[in-house]
Amino acid sequence: MGKEVYLFAANILVWVGLGCYVAFLATSQKRLERRLNRLEILNDDN
Amino acid sequence: MIRLCALAAAAVSILAQYAIWFYAPVEETMGEVQKIFYTHMPMAWWSLVSFVVVFVASILYLAKRRDVYARLAGAAAELGVLMSGLALATGMCWAKPIWGVWWTWDPRLTTTLVMWFVYAAYLLLRASDVGGQRKDTVLAVLGIVAFLDVPLVFISARYWRSIHPAVLGSQGGGMEPEMWLAMAANLVAMGLLWLALLAARTKQLAAGAAVTALLRHGASRN
Repeated sequence: MGKEVYLFAANILVWVGLGCYVAFLATSQKRLERRLNRLEILNDDN
Repeated sequence: MIRLCALAAAAVSILAQYAIWFYAPVEETMGEVQKIFYTHMPMAWWSLVSFVVVFVASILYLAKRRDVYARLAGAAAELGVLMSGLALATGMCWAKPIWGVWWTWDPRLTTTLVMWFVYAAYLLLRASDVGGQRKDTVLAVLGIVAFLDVPLVFISARYWRSIHPAVLGSQGGGMEPEMWLAMAANLVAMGLLWLALLAARTKQLAAGAAVTALLRHGASRN
């Protein structure tokens, strides 16, 4: 196995790690939007 | 501001990747694998900046009791744990071909791992259901105490016998000007991304807190 593989692996790790965090933020945002919708329904009921 | 930061981060990241693969010269002793430095260093650097933000925001929260500081500390701790974890992982990818082992209990590596565990515990406590302002106060105290390890990480490679190089502490660091430029491009790219993610997460936590408060208010009215 050439040493370049480690360079590729490190680079991929960084971008996968950052991508996972962005995906976590996107999921949290979706959950927040669902809660906002629930709030709107609650307001409509009143 | 967040969108502008994210766009700038994307543009500079493309330049930074070009610098890694095509612009920066290949180091004589280590060869191509030395280029891991350009991703490893920004991760370590911005994780330390994140923990400085946690420290300052925790002090401000205790002094002023404004929720914005608690949320800023939480967002910065998430980024700090992510980036220090990635610094450890990229460091392991560098250590294996150069030192012959994935891990060694070197002062720099050990203090970084301890720092990662302390802030991971901070995030676990933050995510727990133990509620209210009391939790924010406990977290702020932990955010200040946890910072004790951060200067140790910084000085560990300089003052203790460490096989980990202290590039910025040594004169010139033995690096060519092109290497410095590649490092600067990667530092700026990660810095912009860090800023965009920190701002987005802090804003998101604020929105979450507002919605929770409104839902509680609505539930209590019904």
